[in-house]
Amino acid sequence: MTVTNVEPTMSASADDRETVIAVDRISKKFCRDLKQSLFYGVQDIATDLTGRRRKSDRLRNGEFWALKDISFRVQRGDALGLIGANGAGKSTLLRIISGLIKPDTGSVTIAGRVAPLIALGAGFNPILTGRENIYANMSILGLPTREIKRRFDQVIDFAEIWEAIDAPVQTYSSGMAARLGFACAVHVEPEILLIDEVLSVGDIKFKMKCHQKLAKLREQGTAFILVSHNPHSVLNVCSESIYLSKGQLITAGKTETVIRQYEQDLCLSGNESAIGMMVLPAKSRSESLGLDITQICFKDEQGNLLAAPMTGEPAILSVECWAHESIVGANLGAMIKSLSGEHDLVLYLTSAGDDQLLEVQPGVVELQMQMPYCGLIPGVYSAKIYIRKGVYSFDIVESFRFTVKSQCTTSRCQFYQPRTWNVVQKSDSTLPEI
Amino acid sequence: MPYRVVHTPEGMLRHPKQLFHAMWRDLLAARELAWRLMVRDISAQYRQSFLGIFWAVIPPLVMAIGFTIASDAQIFQPGVTDLPYPAYVMFSTSLWQTFVEAVNGPVQAVILAKPMLARVNFPREAIILAKVGEVGFNFAIKLLLIVALFIYYKIAVSWTVILAPVALIHLILFGTLVGTLLSPLGVLYQDISRGLTMATGFWLFLTPVVYPVPDQGLLGALVKLNPVTPLLVTARELATTGVLSLAPQFWIVSGITFLGLLITWVTFRLAMPYVIERVSS
Repeated sequence: MTVTNVEPTMSASADDRETVIAVDRISKKFCRDLKQSLFYGVQDIATDLTGRRRKSDRLRNGEFWALKDISFRVQRGDALGLIGANGAGKSTLLRIISGLIKPDTGSVTIAGRVAPLIALGAGFNPILTGRENIYANMSILGLPTREIKRRFDQVIDFAEIWEAIDAPVQTYSSGMAARLGFACAVHVEPEILLIDEVLSVGDIKFKMKCHQKLAKLREQGTAFILVSHNPHSVLNVCSESIYLSKGQLITAGKTETVIRQYEQDLCLSGNESAIGMMVLPAKSRSESLGLDITQICFKDEQGNLLAAPMTGEPAILSVECWAHESIVGANLGAMIKSLSGEHDLVLYLTSAGDDQLLEVQPGVVELQMQMPYCGLIPGVYSAKIYIRKGVYSFDIVESFRFTVKSQCTTSRCQFYQPRTWNVVQKSDSTLPEI
Repeated sequence: MPYRVVHTPEGMLRHPKQLFHAMWRDLLAARELAWRLMVRDISAQYRQSFLGIFWAVIPPLVMAIGFTIASDAQIFQPGVTDLPYPAYVMFSTSLWQTFVEAVNGPVQAVILAKPMLARVNFPREAIILAKVGEVGFNFAIKLLLIVALFIYYKIAVSWTVILAPVALIHLILFGTLVGTLLSPLGVLYQDISRGLTMATGFWLFLTPVVYPVPDQGLLGALVKLNPVTPLLVTARELATTGVLSLAPQFWIVSGITFLGLLITWVTFRLAMPYVIERVSS
């Protein structure tokens, strides 16, 4: 069903250009157990050699679908982002497109030469010089010798290794070797470039150079598929993306939309979704220490319950209590840990720390922490909430779990920064007359 | 557009015409790459080595010295050979070694190229061709030793020596056939390369390298069944006496080799995608 959605959105804008990659309902199965996997490999070879049909659309014992029914199209000059967590099947998909492995169902049609940037420096021999390795590497990528000769100087210029070109590659720094590999691959100038997490090589200056080169190739009509689990780099290059998760195509379309979905799923995966409100049973008078927390939730400015606060929007942390006595100088504290990432403490806020001592009268009271902007990025959090006076604790809630959602992209941000953008004209373009 | 490819799950044998077309195309495309890979491998092989190309001639020399001492001490009696015994051993060992290199070459090369195979789609025939070329190159160096040997022992050469390369090529091709057939499995299972070392060691005893062709007993029967025997013996006889003792067997094995090579090539092509999908990149 996703499949039928994909094609119109992708081809509607660009049906006048030719399709260079057409992926049609492909699936691929893998086996986790190595011994079994090797045995299945031999079995497949034997079946193929005897001219029988592999029942490739059915899973054998211990196999799983690494990719299932994926379809999309890439036109000439397009850049498609492939987003997904580790093990989502991105690299498998690239390997099928480059023809390294056969799909188990469906078909892939490729028009043009494919250069995989999966393989930076494939075939580099550390003993040989940079010069010799350029010839071997570009030859493997399918370039005839006279073409290599023609582009040789461009490659060295790009990789910036003029003085080291006749030294063995094993004497190169890892950055130099990576630069040489990248330079070889982009100077093959293929019709289709498959880029797998390689734009992270080299220093910032070289990275910019890579991006410029890729932009130039794209202008010349090279189609890209860019794989990354860091959506930010996809955002810079690709206008359209597809999002894979556990071998399934989840969404396809505009990169921003796809990334938003990916980030939300990333935060929620593995955690049961938080309820947004916590109600605590009433304590008996003998159990109580004078002030009992009865309910914790988030509210918006109008006082309505917020199931999930939104990044960048106002939110109020509301702690409802039953006070048995009047308290002067109560201290509300909240320790917020992120459950999506490394379980780090992200916020530790106390009213006493802000010199705000709260006065509580007997009866039902609501203590509020008002946040003009919720600065937390999307994710699942756990808050430890307590009310104290000095070192005396009235009540502690060990874990109030809540989810923060977002309508804005916060990729690569640690927190939400409220901001506005502005241009200030300092002078007009005419030169001052002297 | 340069060309259009479709990748499907279907077995290639179901479309033999397309298969042979693709094989031919890849063979042409593989030539230049094979040359590059060969140059790369040969230069790398000799660069990180002090003795360099002498490694091509040291093993036959050592082998000849060892067996000559053993036969002089009457520990083992090789029987009558066409050539002086040290020359016989050295020449035969050179041939045998070339065969063993041709067997091991494809297996080792494909295993070594695993990272490359797992990431780039290139005509995989190039790996095998490069290895065949390397075997040829190494033999050319051994040839220097052989020529020196012939001069030293004043061995008479018949005009048939110009045909000797034919037999030699058949010998290399037969070795390549065995190696190529095993190479896909060799990537999957280490047993292949281990077993191969052992098997070629045993195979040497069944081949008339350090002894002349025996005509009786179990050994005689086994040596006659050994397909390497006619190829190696014919190459040796063409280069020296010019009298062929195993001509019919030679042509039978050669025929099998050429037919087998074609089948091996198809097998190799069919098997490699399945092998690559089992090794991670």
